[in-house]
Amino acid sequence: MAGQTDPHISLFSPQEVEFMAEDELVKIVPNMNMDPLNFISGDFGRFVPQIPTEVPLWLAVALKRRGKCTFRPPEWMTVDNLTQILEAERESQSTFQALPFSYVEIARLLFDHARDDIPDMYMVRSLVEDIRDVRLHKLETNLGSFQGTSAVKISNVSAMEVNLVRPFVRRALEAFYKHDKPEADVDRDTRSSRQQREANNEPRRPLRQR
Amino acid sequence: MAKYFDIDDILTEEEFVPVLFHKPANGVTIDPSAETHCVEQGAKVEVPFWLAHELHLRQAVSINLPACFNQKTRLEVQADAAYVDLRSRCQYFYEFGCKLEPLVTDRTLGILLSTAFKIRYKEALTKVYTAAHITASKYLPFLTKEETNLYEAAHLSMTAFKKWRTGGPRLQRASILGRKRKDSN
Repeated sequence: MAGQTDPHISLFSPQEVEFMAEDELVKIVPNMNMDPLNFISGDFGRFVPQIPTEVPLWLAVALKRRGKCTFRPPEWMTVDNLTQILEAERESQSTFQALPFSYVEIARLLFDHARDDIPDMYMVRSLVEDIRDVRLHKLETNLGSFQGTSAVKISNVSAMEVNLVRPFVRRALEAFYKHDKPEADVDRDTRSSRQQREANNEPRRPLRQR
Repeated sequence: MAKYFDIDDILTEEEFVPVLFHKPANGVTIDPSAETHCVEQGAKVEVPFWLAHELHLRQAVSINLPACFNQKTRLEVQADAAYVDLRSRCQYFYEFGCKLEPLVTDRTLGILLSTAFKIRYKEALTKVYTAAHITASKYLPFLTKEETNLYEAAHLSMTAFKKWRTGGPRLQRASILGRKRKDSN
């Protein structure tokens, strides 16, 4: 704890997380003819008018800005689906609903650039914001329930949420570990029972079960 | 060795501890009010931790608990850990306690530290993300340096997220290219 005088220790800025989310594939409907594009990440097929194709999000945004395509919203971004997810989130206090890993970033990019392509745009937007608030709140209340574990598993947390809590949780877990270590040597009997939260989405954290 | 140059570590070791000398020491001016420049055997003096640690290794002193870990603090922590003003007691409360733990005969120090930290963590630090600035700032003057680090980390990442959410140009000129901007990323 004392070794971290640098508060800027969050490893990714939100812009960087967004950048990484742009690799997700989305469906677009081009309105022009173009030959296949060859990139390092792959080849993206012939663009024929009115035939839907899958391209990475960054390419889709670039095409959209030049007016060469329209977006087809992803399957999870319908009013019904989102309402259902919101209900389920509100019901359970400790589990998160399965959402695409970068739903926050994808939603924001689509709202910024493809406003007219999404039916009921305002409704969808407010639903996504609500879902995000509920999940964030749930995440924070669950943070308070650490009892001195040194590894935590939470399932179905999205990239942006993980990035938000990452520096804080990392340091807190380190502090817990440091304080529990001498205690473990001294006093094994009276150690309070440790709660554990299950299922992890973050490749970085060691999953030691205590 | 990684902590040799660390400012926080240096400042932690600067804290005073009361020690009891087992051997007399000549030619030292530890106690400014003493007339002779030596310390008697059996004298109780306050020295910085780094000095006490060295002397302990040579078995010249035995270390007692400093005032910030005394009974009064323990009772306060038991009563309501979240509001105890640890910063005025000792800015590096946890770190200092961890260093003292192997040197002092008192076994309950570690438990005191970990319970205090756990309760304070739960009450104060988890409120950082949701609470308005007012509620969180109730606890701020009481936090030790280490807890303030945690708080700042959380606060920074939250502000960065909010800034991102309200939008902004997608491509930004790097700040080191010399253009004057108020908020550089």
